[in-house]
Amino acid sequence: MKLTRRELLAVAGAGAGAVALGGLGIHHLITESYSKKLKIRGAKEVISICPFCSVSCHFIAHVKGGKVVSTEGDPGYPISQGALCAKGATMLSMINSDHRLVKPKYRAPFSDRWEEKSWSWMIEKLARRIKDTRDKHFVTTNAEGKRVNRLDTLFHAGSSQMSNEEASVVVQGMRALGIVNIDHQARI
Amino acid sequence: MSKAFFIDTSRCTACRGCQVACKEWQGFPANFTKQLGWGSHQNPPDLNCYNYKVVRFSEHKINNRVLWNFFPDQCRHCLEPPCKAAADHYVKNAVVIDEPTGAVVFTERTKKIPNEGFLSMKEYCPYNIPRRNPETGVINKCDLCFERIEAGHIPMCVKTCPTGAMNFGERGAMLSLARSRLATVKAEFPDASLLDEDSVRIIYLITLKREEYHDLASLKNPVLTRSIG
Repeated sequence: MKLTRRELLAVAGAGAGAVALGGLGIHHLITESYSKKLKIRGAKEVISICPFCSVSCHFIAHVKGGKVVSTEGDPGYPISQGALCAKGATMLSMINSDHRLVKPKYRAPFSDRWEEKSWSWMIEKLARRIKDTRDKHFVTTNAEGKRVNRLDTLFHAGSSQMSNEEASVVVQGMRALGIVNIDHQARI
Repeated sequence: MSKAFFIDTSRCTACRGCQVACKEWQGFPANFTKQLGWGSHQNPPDLNCYNYKVVRFSEHKINNRVLWNFFPDQCRHCLEPPCKAAADHYVKNAVVIDEPTGAVVFTERTKKIPNEGFLSMKEYCPYNIPRRNPETGVINKCDLCFERIEAGHIPMCVKTCPTGAMNFGERGAMLSLARSRLATVKAEFPDASLLDEDSVRIIYLITLKREEYHDLASLKNPVLTRSIG
């Protein structure tokens, strides 16, 4: 049996506990009746990233039977060193929330309901809309006749999870379309 | 082993990470919060059976300067817990002390404690911590994450604290950390003090005078004005 460092600590802790309780005799019976099983015991640890701010704290998700049963900060992440703020501490609720979107949803113009769609349908639709909007509203020259090649009717909101390099590629892509309204998700 | 917390409120920014991480670990549902009309950002307004921790806010204007004191309130895990004395009178060992850690643990057996017993536990507790779940009848509060400690982890609120306000370790180590921090903090805040460090496992450092915090922050406050219920 191969033990991770954490599991080893868990086994060592349990052993120490057993010795201490053995010495106390009668207390052992009481202990058995109030100890619940640690919910992360035997869980697989998966590292993921908090989606909120640009600190991008890593967190450990404890997975049992394909379900996330607990989350906590990852001490190996050098910036937060295992800490999480009030938003990062809610990863468990966020992952398992009924309100969480797990599939693309589309609401047609003037419709009052959302329809579930596939990713391929959605990406195709987005590309079509971007192309149509650009074809319709692209401005080549301003009132003074100066060349501007600008698209005012689309807006790009960046992500705080992107590295400088990713952000650079995205901004170049947006500029290529002529988009000038570029801002950041963290300011919304 | 005898464990303790040192809570350095001079470092607390009231992010409430500890409050939320505790709820997540315990698997508690959301609470009703109160944003307007009561003059505080403290939320939820008080401890309840689904909030073992609440960051209390005390706002003052002193010498024309606004001072906002944050206090992550929770069970102090008294060395001689009066709630256990009260509970034992009704149901023996409904409240137990987890020997390896020193945690004062409310068990499922607290269900059997009659309402009168619950009220006397609240009255005995110098900090008004015990709460009863109206659906299950279980009386509950912070359990020091004693099972995490025994499995080699640190308590959830301490683990998540991003500022270093929450500290956990052996009681002796926490006491010496508390005293050394107090000496440092006193340079800027001459009124700083530790709260009830000789009788509890959860040792607080406050920066201003005792009166600038909520009524039940420490034993030293007169118990006459507090309400029970």
